[in-house]
Amino acid sequence: MIIALPLAILWFGALFIALLDGTRKPVGYAAVGLLLAALSATVVLGVDVYLNGPKEMAIAGWEAGVGIALRADLLGITFAVVSLIVLTTALWFEVSRDVKARIFPALVMFMGLGLTGLFFTGDAFNFYVFFEISMVAAYVLASYGESPRQLRAALIFIVVNLLGSVLFLIGIAAMYHNTGWLDMERIAVLTPLIDQNPAILTATIVFVAFSIKLGLFPFHFWLPAVYTGTRPAVAAILSGALANIGSYGLIRFGADIFPRELREGAWIMLVLGSISIIYGGVQAIARHSPNEVLAYSTIGQVGYILIALSIGGEAGYAAAILYAVINALNKALLFLSASLRGWIAGAAFAVGAFSVAGVPPAGGFFGKMALFQIAIDDDQPWIVALIFLGGALSFVYMFQLYRARFWVNQEADEATTKGALGLVTVLALVIVAIGVYPEPLLLLSQQAASILPERAP
Amino acid sequence: MTLIVSLSVAVIFGSAAYLMLKRDLIRVITGMILLGNAANLFIMAAGLREGRAPFVDSEFETSDPLVQAMTLTAIVISFGVATLVLSVVYRVYDSHHSVDLRRLGSAEAVQASLDDQPTAQEIKAEEAELREAEDQDVGTTPEVRA
Repeated sequence: MIIALPLAILWFGALFIALLDGTRKPVGYAAVGLLLAALSATVVLGVDVYLNGPKEMAIAGWEAGVGIALRADLLGITFAVVSLIVLTTALWFEVSRDVKARIFPALVMFMGLGLTGLFFTGDAFNFYVFFEISMVAAYVLASYGESPRQLRAALIFIVVNLLGSVLFLIGIAAMYHNTGWLDMERIAVLTPLIDQNPAILTATIVFVAFSIKLGLFPFHFWLPAVYTGTRPAVAAILSGALANIGSYGLIRFGADIFPRELREGAWIMLVLGSISIIYGGVQAIARHSPNEVLAYSTIGQVGYILIALSIGGEAGYAAAILYAVINALNKALLFLSASLRGWIAGAAFAVGAFSVAGVPPAGGFFGKMALFQIAIDDDQPWIVALIFLGGALSFVYMFQLYRARFWVNQEADEATTKGALGLVTVLALVIVAIGVYPEPLLLLSQQAASILPERAP
Repeated sequence: MTLIVSLSVAVIFGSAAYLMLKRDLIRVITGMILLGNAANLFIMAAGLREGRAPFVDSEFETSDPLVQAMTLTAIVISFGVATLVLSVVYRVYDSHHSVDLRRLGSAEAVQASLDDQPTAQEIKAEEAELREAEDQDVGTTPEVRA
């Protein structure tokens, strides 16, 4: 029952909020409250799972094995908590300024529902359904603001991501055809028995589908156009919460279901990850508008997750999870604080910039350090060099942006409210706290990764 | 049968891909809807098995009910998304008076060049910086002379 609680809060809450006028402050704050309630329920569930092991339940009272399974393990819960934190912050941020569309708070909650659902589900087709719930919410959110430019951005976003969704659906049908199951655990047990060719084809389709969501190098083309046009809260939601589908999907389907194919394709992921890092970094340096710089930075940051995955092993997966979590928080902080003015916003942005570059007081340092560690353990000095180069590039573009936004141009685009400043401060403090006292997060990512390679041959 | 189904999936997917590369947005949307249908057919093909209607306690060989349930769900989802996309296209048409991607592209280029122009505030700030630098020069030179 407790697994379904966050989902129930979000589901009924979103329906309720959708009926009300979201531009009113009380409605907006009610939505924030419901998201916080779902977040606390997820955290409680996470503590329970941490102490007593993974939980499982079948939906609607079916027998286990027949009904669709909800399965809460640490990997899913970690991603659910991070996504809900980002969604809550972004919604609160927008409510504290001014919500422009009445449906906005409800959409953010629907996206929370879709994300939490797909992190908790144990059924591949159910994964697709929740995935579509969050994607449809994202399609509408991308056009939030409804200027001509945002509509164009939404159109690109929908066309490209729909292609990704269809590919993923085909991948699921292929998995079902090959194994005869939709339950992800059973698929994982049976995949080593599939012939090499169908397995590799299916794994490739799923990989491409998630790479489109993540905005990895050859599939990145939609990302800058969308992020440049959208409002800061939406950009934070897209890169801090929605992109988690990509990282979680790659870890869950790659490391859990297709470990053999992941090993075989490791060098491809290594190459794509490296190109992403360098391409994203160089392009970001050449750009001026803050959202564009951050969009290319997102492309670069994804590369690190891919490199960690390609090195693999328990340490590699742990590093990938750690990096994905910190990256989501960084991006939310940067997109939100870059739209504000004043020394508080500047300081918060600087924390995010340090974190992206991997400088010690901020949490990003430990993400980079985990990567350094696995690269050295794996005896691959050129990956160390690459990570260092990527860090240097991000340092350059982050401080170019910092200078342009907080030194030269002191006027705000829009209202800089106390609430918005408070939120970015809290987010910045969280990132600093992770940097000062990283043990809990390190332990969590190791525990979450430890459930993965059990089945690896 | 398998060959026929796989061929039709291939033809539908191919036409969808072709349509999605067109400049006219309506064709792009048609391509997207076709793409969803190719995926639906593919799901059906994943459980292709001859048999009777799958009732509980049937004594005959039954066909696979799960793929049909999945396809139905996928049809509903793609239908919903198609509606959403059409409404977005209508909004785009409303604000640009065109559904030609070339037109939209040139509108984007105009916007991008506007973004690259320094804003009035940035120009002012830069002028202020220059003036400060000049003031400092003026301030230091007399001392040197002295």
